[in-house]
Amino acid sequence: MNFLIRGRVALVLKIVIVSLISAILLMLTQSAFAQREYVIAAYLAVTVFILALTYLTKISIPLKFFIPGILLLTAFVVGPILYTVAMSGFNYKTGNIISKPEAINLIKLQGTEASPDGIAFDLKLGKIGSEPALLVSDITNLKYFVSTGKTRIEVAAADVTLNEYGVAITAPNFTALSDSELSGADKAYSVIKFKYDGVYFIALEGLETGIVSRQILDYQASNDQFVNLVDGTLYKDNGRGNYSSENDSSAILEPGWRAPVWFENYSKIFTDSRVREPLVRVFIWTVAFALLTVLTTFALGLLLALALNKPIRGRRIYRSILVLPYAMPSVMSILIWGGMFNTEFGAINTLFGTDIAWFSDPNFARVAVILVNLWLGFPYFYLISSGSLQAIPSELQEAAAIDGANPRQIFRKITLPLLLQILSPLLIASFAFNFNNFNLIYLLTGGGPRNDLDGEIAGATDILISYTYKIAFGSSTQDLGLASAISLIIFILIASISLYSLKKSKVLESFA
Amino acid sequence: MKNWLTQNLWRHVIGISICLFSLFPLYLVVISSFSSSGSLQLTSFIPTEISFSNYKLLFNDPTIPYLTWVKNSLIIAGAVAVLSVAIGSASAFAFSRLQFKGRKLGIQLLLLVQMFPAILAISAVYVIMERVYKFAPGIGLGTQTGLLLVYLGGAMGVNIWLLKGFVDSIPAELDEAAKIDGASAVQTFWLIFVPLASPVLAVVALLSFIGTFNEFILARLFLVDMESRTVAVGLQQFIGGQYSENWGPFAAGSILASIPIVIIFLSLQKYIVSGLTAGSVKG
Repeated sequence: MNFLIRGRVALVLKIVIVSLISAILLMLTQSAFAQREYVIAAYLAVTVFILALTYLTKISIPLKFFIPGILLLTAFVVGPILYTVAMSGFNYKTGNIISKPEAINLIKLQGTEASPDGIAFDLKLGKIGSEPALLVSDITNLKYFVSTGKTRIEVAAADVTLNEYGVAITAPNFTALSDSELSGADKAYSVIKFKYDGVYFIALEGLETGIVSRQILDYQASNDQFVNLVDGTLYKDNGRGNYSSENDSSAILEPGWRAPVWFENYSKIFTDSRVREPLVRVFIWTVAFALLTVLTTFALGLLLALALNKPIRGRRIYRSILVLPYAMPSVMSILIWGGMFNTEFGAINTLFGTDIAWFSDPNFARVAVILVNLWLGFPYFYLISSGSLQAIPSELQEAAAIDGANPRQIFRKITLPLLLQILSPLLIASFAFNFNNFNLIYLLTGGGPRNDLDGEIAGATDILISYTYKIAFGSSTQDLGLASAISLIIFILIASISLYSLKKSKVLESFA
Repeated sequence: MKNWLTQNLWRHVIGISICLFSLFPLYLVVISSFSSSGSLQLTSFIPTEISFSNYKLLFNDPTIPYLTWVKNSLIIAGAVAVLSVAIGSASAFAFSRLQFKGRKLGIQLLLLVQMFPAILAISAVYVIMERVYKFAPGIGLGTQTGLLLVYLGGAMGVNIWLLKGFVDSIPAELDEAAKIDGASAVQTFWLIFVPLASPVLAVVALLSFIGTFNEFILARLFLVDMESRTVAVGLQQFIGGQYSENWGPFAAGSILASIPIVIIFLSLQKYIVSGLTAGSVKG
């Protein structure tokens, strides 16, 4: 070991490792840049620079210890947090997911109307020279023409060859796409307006048919507005990620884009009753759930610790069995409990001879959640309480006993206060942990039961974090902007609770 | 005798009743794993049949790559444990022992960052890794390497914080003595700190291992391929469907996957508890 840490071998080894990692990162930078992921490319480039600077010069010794940790933390924790902060300022939700140029393109593409007589043609995709073209067959009138984005060239019936359905497959100067070209051609061809007649063009419907259509919505880049060519309605950027009609602001063009709405997501939380009311309900339950969990797990753990705080027979066996719930991987225990609460076949109903629909009734579901969390959490408090009980000097209890206190008084006036003082940081940590106990809720009840009828997505057992997850990744609508805003509020709440508790436990003072 | 009753009987009553509470679900899983019915029912306390069909299914059915899942979980959790402790201990050492500008601020920032509910940054992580996939398919979304990197980043905050607590408890005289003898910071780290802290490093590594093994949401989001899944994600699919709950293989798979974790936990209980009380709560 020694020779590795001092001297030339170490130096050579260090240079080799640093250059190897830098080379890999540089390669990644280059390909990121090629794919136009400029932020990621910049991050990688800075990383390479910092790595070289830190390990090949003597600029800062602490930095040598920090850099790997900081880089990982920046990329996968700080970066996503900043991204979340940014998202909270946008109306980033279903219908407003893409960027503005993409939205304009889509509106243009969708702002068409089939011609009143509903003409459709069979066609063949191909090229004239290098220009995309369609070979169109009017089977009823036995007329054929080739159409590009610019012109339409009539082709005499004698010059085409037909397949068994009467659709032209070859024409002079026209080269049909091969099957392999065809599979990728959809995107490029569907945006071209192949000439038909006057304002009408042929819009692709699949790869073998085209419908005669005309543009209804026209984009005027100079004024950044859409105009409806039929009735003349103007649609202007409403500043909130949509083009809306001048006369009727609720008439908007789909899709919209993610536009900055600054603090609207935050103000919605406080002012919009459809957002606020479920959120307040969920918040109350979250606090109740976290408090009840801490209380029940601590009470049961402490009771056990007191009961087993004497060298009674079988204490070691008790101890080993009691920590089993804690040692089991929690994902699996939670799923198993989920199965045990099943109404029809569940072991709980069988055991007690009841017929309770645990996860369909809000109150029973809440009881189940607390009970499962008690099972998962009491061993932790048992372990740390029994450790702390031994740390309390026995002289105190003996002195109280001499003064005539009975065991109950000793516990209430001496042991419990001391224990609470020792354990309060852990009780608060446990509260903070359960405040965000996503796995339990997600895997056990999925937040339910909930009232499907009014489109409400908050369930009776949803806690803030699972509710926010539903807002962001829900099955019907997704509102990443609002979810990000709520996340940041949760963050501020948790951070204040934790900082307050840390300040109280004087951990922060040791930083000085 | 009367004395024994008042002194110890209540202790045993409490001990036994709570032991039953702890054991009941576990017992149920064990009997379900040996039952061929595929349900998690409590038909009787004494199993009427002992069938190994669930275990056979896990090992013989080619559509259920159970061993691969276990291997994936062990590799990912193992790599996260080792790497995060290696990287985290260096940072913790610097925070605890080296004097530099911005140290206090750094620790406070770390603490703050760690409090952000990680689940809620998932969408951002997802978008970032989706983009990475475009130029580096080997480490982007859908790959185990990508998941590993995300886990490593996520483990940093907790681990540095936890390890710093341990480093603080190692007497500073030792490395001051080394310093007087002319050792550099890097030498102090390798020659004094690492040997002294190795039991502690092992405990933190173990906690990371268990934490990663238990992670479900990111793993499910990231690992789409049947072959690349972790054991938790893989097993969940047996009971995930609303009408297709098949508890037998789930129970069998959970038991097999849990045994090593439980054994490690029980044998290192004392150390783990000391690690937990230093400031973290297991998930």
